Amino acid sequence: MLSFEPYEDPAYFGILLLGLLPIMIMMLYGHRSRIYENIISLFFLFLTFGGPSWHEGAALIVYMVYETCLTYFYLHYRKNNNKSWVFYLTVFLAALPLATVKISQQTTSNIPSLIGFMGISYLTFRVVQTIMETRDGVLKKINWVTFLEFVLFFPTISSGPIDRYRRFEKDYRSIPKRDDYLEMLSKGIHYIFLGFLYKFILAYFFGTYLLPQVEAAAMHARGGFLDISWPLIGVMYTYSMDLFFDFAGYSLFAVGTSYVMGIKTPMNFNRPWQSHNFKEFWNRWHMSLSFWFRDYIYMRLLYTFMKNKTFKSMTTAANVTYVLNMMIMGFWHGVTWYYVTYGLFHGFGLVINDTWLKYKKKHRESIPSNWFTKGFSILLTANLVCFSFLIFSGFLNTLWFK
Amino acid sequence: MDVKQTVLSILKDISGEDLSDQMDTNLYDTALMDSMSTVQMMLQLQQQLGIDVQISEFDRSQWDTPNKIIDKVKGLVK
Amino acid sequence: MSKKLFRIFGPIILAAIIVFLLLISPSHFGFGNVTAEIQKRASVSLAPRVLKNKRIKEVALKNNYVPFFGSSEWERIDPMHPSVLAEKYHRSYRPFLLGWRGTQSLTQFFVMQNITKEMKNKKVVISISPQWFVPTGARKDAFGFYTSQLQTTDWLMHENNSAMDRYAARRLLTMPSVTSDEVIEDAVRNVSKGKKLTSFQQLYVKTRQRILTQEDYFFCSLYIPSTNEKLVNKSLKQLPKSYNKAELDKLAVKLGKQNTTNNRFRIENSFYNNGMRKEIGRLKGFQSKESFLKSPEYSDFELLLNQLAKDHTNAIFVLPPINSRWQAYTDLKQARINEFDAKIKHQLKSQGFNNILDLSQDGGIPYFMADTIHYGWRGWLAFDRGVNPFLSKPQKTPHYKINPSYYSRTWQQATLQQLKNFN
Repeated sequence: MLSFEPYEDPAYFGILLLGLLPIMIMMLYGHRSRIYENIISLFFLFLTFGGPSWHEGAALIVYMVYETCLTYFYLHYRKNNNKSWVFYLTVFLAALPLATVKISQQTTSNIPSLIGFMGISYLTFRVVQTIMETRDGVLKKINWVTFLEFVLFFPTISSGPIDRYRRFEKDYRSIPKRDDYLEMLSKGIHYIFLGFLYKFILAYFFGTYLLPQVEAAAMHARGGFLDISWPLIGVMYTYSMDLFFDFAGYSLFAVGTSYVMGIKTPMNFNRPWQSHNFKEFWNRWHMSLSFWFRDYIYMRLLYTFMKNKTFKSMTTAANVTYVLNMMIMGFWHGVTWYYVTYGLFHGFGLVINDTWLKYKKKHRESIPSNWFTKGFSILLTANLVCFSFLIFSGFLNTLWFK
Repeated sequence: MDVKQTVLSILKDISGEDLSDQMDTNLYDTALMDSMSTVQMMLQLQQQLGIDVQISEFDRSQWDTPNKIIDKVKGLVK
Repeated sequence: MSKKLFRIFGPIILAAIIVFLLLISPSHFGFGNVTAEIQKRASVSLAPRVLKNKRIKEVALKNNYVPFFGSSEWERIDPMHPSVLAEKYHRSYRPFLLGWRGTQSLTQFFVMQNITKEMKNKKVVISISPQWFVPTGARKDAFGFYTSQLQTTDWLMHENNSAMDRYAARRLLTMPSVTSDEVIEDAVRNVSKGKKLTSFQQLYVKTRQRILTQEDYFFCSLYIPSTNEKLVNKSLKQLPKSYNKAELDKLAVKLGKQNTTNNRFRIENSFYNNGMRKEIGRLKGFQSKESFLKSPEYSDFELLLNQLAKDHTNAIFVLPPINSRWQAYTDLKQARINEFDAKIKHQLKSQGFNNILDLSQDGGIPYFMADTIHYGWRGWLAFDRGVNPFLSKPQKTPHYKINPSYYSRTWQQATLQQLKNFN
């Protein structure tokens, strides 16, 4: 029985190429066969969620029925009513399966293996945003087939990027002109090959080859103050590089495959290591996630706080929202001390960053800005980010408590 | 006061800069605006012009220069 | 359009053709040149890569390296470790350590498939662990982690449907790793049923073998961790210039004393700190029911013996001790150890494997063990005193007679009273 995790196996790419070939030819001749695209999508879903992972597939089907009913109910309700509590309840219910999986992962219960499946987080993001846009009255009609195609779009099913329903629908309904498609095709292929370099060469080197060695060395060098040692610094940088190249590589595969299918799935990374500060960093790192949090959590919370004048000063409102937003992101990664600490670290980091930017704006004349200060800020940001990834890695948990 | 003047005065309030001579500057790329000032702007637009912009409708690429904002707002005022 | 398409796909198609030609080409393009330095590093690295790899072992064993099959014991590198002693005292051989945490007989059988040619009429050392012989047998995850498809294809290319091959095939089919390639899985299933490979399967296995061998040549020298090599080099400096039994024993006692100060079990300090300290209360008496008498591992072990017999390889088998203070604390009964010794010795001797170094009764000697079940300072010296003469001096040609009934479940489950049924 063939069974693959997406983008992990050379054979997967071989099958992918064969499956995409008819789409390429049709696109070049100005056709889009939704029937074929759906067959291919189902086929790849089956490769990932069938065979030995069939129980995940079953969980996925139950999940989709549940979420579709919920979204359908809310869309219907919203036509004539708009009570806040109904909206909150719907969002709560939509996020409930994910929350249950995340919380029970920390216990010995077998709930995660029962209702969890690969990609549940990303599917939840797509469903919740659809509900939120329905509340805002932006989405008045949902085509249920497109909704399913959107949530279950196979190139991005396991780990994003997180597209938006309206954007996706627009691409899915149109056929690019031949020259535009050739452009997309060339980009898509380029992305996929850049992904090979990232994931199978660089991430392999950092993650599979180097990381176990520096980790072992760091474990061996325990005993000092907080078990800090030179190898631990090595773990910090090695893990950060592994995380970046692994995830950026995966994202390139997902975006590249989407492009070949004529869908411009948004990019996830835009040279994050050249950010001058945390704020910029989150505009360049795992962008589809951070934009999701920005649009559906940060701005909404802040809007509510400001409208109701919950806090006296607007700066306080913004700062509290930063911390809350990043803390929720931390919890989303998993209910462990290191994920939440990571979230708080970035939350407070953004507060400090924002305070500094305001101060700098006021005292623009007296603060120098040249190649040195710019270089310094890039270096500082990159190092703080790497430190936050060390927290995120959970290695400190092993180092201190295992 | 017309829409253009109102928008410019709101933007001046928020960004601390008179933008009437940089109507096509990208406000986000130049860090004149961010998510927080966006929320401020939305609240101000609501208070001063009575228009309701939903966060979902707020697609950054359509709101990133003073000119684009004015166009958008004009469309919503009607 | 076609011009643009060619610009997009041309390079990919060209690259694919070149890679395919490289992989099936009979030439190795100068790769596979394993330097003495790499051989040394690999011989002590214990990395899973090295267990899976073929080329390094092939070259090293043609030189003076001797395979030391075992599991986690090789990891305890101190100045008395066999790799250190062999280098320091310029022995005629160098150990090539094969095994890590969780490697058991079945893994070692497949590791051998790569080097059967090099093992013919040579000597090997096999360190047995009673802990392999648990009722559940070989750990499936570990098997997949330490073996490679190249070993499977090599084995398939020279299998001749003997009892050994059929049993190995049956065992392989119970391992999840075999499902990674359906054609090969089917081929293995044919072997298990006593059928020949179809001509397509033969062609496929042969092509896979060629590609995997080529990959093995290309990448063999990359990424061999040097941590253990550095440890060996450091340890070399601690040894006296020439071999002197009494002097070495004194040094072993001294090092043992220095390194076992934070616990009452004479377990090395760092090992004790690494996870044991916190669990210690829970571990009291936890082995009171442990027994090594009934296990599928006995038949997996027979695979090893059968392979040795097939290649006329002369082997010495070492039975290790258990730290007796630890044994008392966890309530592991000595009778259970003795049962195991008796059964495994019966399996060995009844088939002509008579070189047995039994250290199983020495777990009470101070500083014999580095931790719970692994040799340390004085234990390594005793190991060396037994193994070195076997490897350094000429040995009589052994006469093996393999008894296939050791592949039966009856043997796996046999008690001491039933041993006499197997001769």
